Amino acid sequence: MHNERSLTLAWLLLLGLTLVGAVLGNAGSPGLWVTVTVAAMMAFKGRVVIDHFLELGGAHPSIRRLVRFYAVALPVMLILTDLFGPQIAWLTTL
Amino acid sequence: MSIATPVFSAPIAPVLGRIPGNKAIWVGIYCELTEFALMFLVYFVARAHHPDAFRGGPQQLSTLAGVTNTVIMLTSSYFVARGVMAMRRNARATCLKWLTAALFTGMGYPVVKFFEVQWNVAQGLSGNGEVFQMAYYYLTFNHLVHVCWGLLGLMWVMFRTWMGAYDATDHDGLEAFACYWHATDLIWLMIFPLFYVLP
Repeated sequence: MHNERSLTLAWLLLLGLTLVGAVLGNAGSPGLWVTVTVAAMMAFKGRVVIDHFLELGGAHPSIRRLVRFYAVALPVMLILTDLFGPQIAWLTTL
Repeated sequence: MSIATPVFSAPIAPVLGRIPGNKAIWVGIYCELTEFALMFLVYFVARAHHPDAFRGGPQQLSTLAGVTNTVIMLTSSYFVARGVMAMRRNARATCLKWLTAALFTGMGYPVVKFFEVQWNVAQGLSGNGEVFQMAYYYLTFNHLVHVCWGLLGLMWVMFRTWMGAYDATDHDGLEAFACYWHATDLIWLMIFPLFYVLP
């Protein structure tokens, strides 16, 4: 029953964080700390899905590392876009 | 001397270093993750070029629709995971009940999407030219296509479960579908804050 219970707790946690994130987005004004908070929640929720739903904790390293990297890389890119937006725009201007 | 008694809820514990489901589904999941990675890259470049359009974007969308579809994806994913756990106990009927719950929950996703698009069009969000709207429609419609594939896959594993094709020792097909569904859920968890939450 332990696995079922931890899965259920993970699901409830994800639902709770989704609601908190929606409230934060509606209430917050644009700023680095809001971006960092949203990015951290993205990474955390991704990790919960990877560990509890996909159960990649004991999976082959090439699968586990790539999927975990994915859930961290996107939030990091979001923060970098907020920090270095003008530079990224300059680099990607044809 | 005391003897510690390990307690395992899952009779068949996953083996370390294994490939969940099968290799083929992971080729598909890698393709899915790569496809969306490229689209996320476009999102970040567009956001860098048009920060104001993206900061004001979420206010144009229905937060309720975004939250509802997130709840649907998470809940459907949870039901599928419970189904896999039931199959590991060889509880085939219980597994089928969880999968049925996952199907009916998951079918809510395209329904919510339909009403969301109706609402968008009524608000003037037709996706004609404005960069945030273009990125939003491109990414979310692509995700919708993956959800629809997933719902078809879910019907297939339900049929196979009903036919008795899986048991506690052999249910790779069911687990492969579960991996695809959870990966699709994972991608939605990245899309949702980028379009509906982040100011």
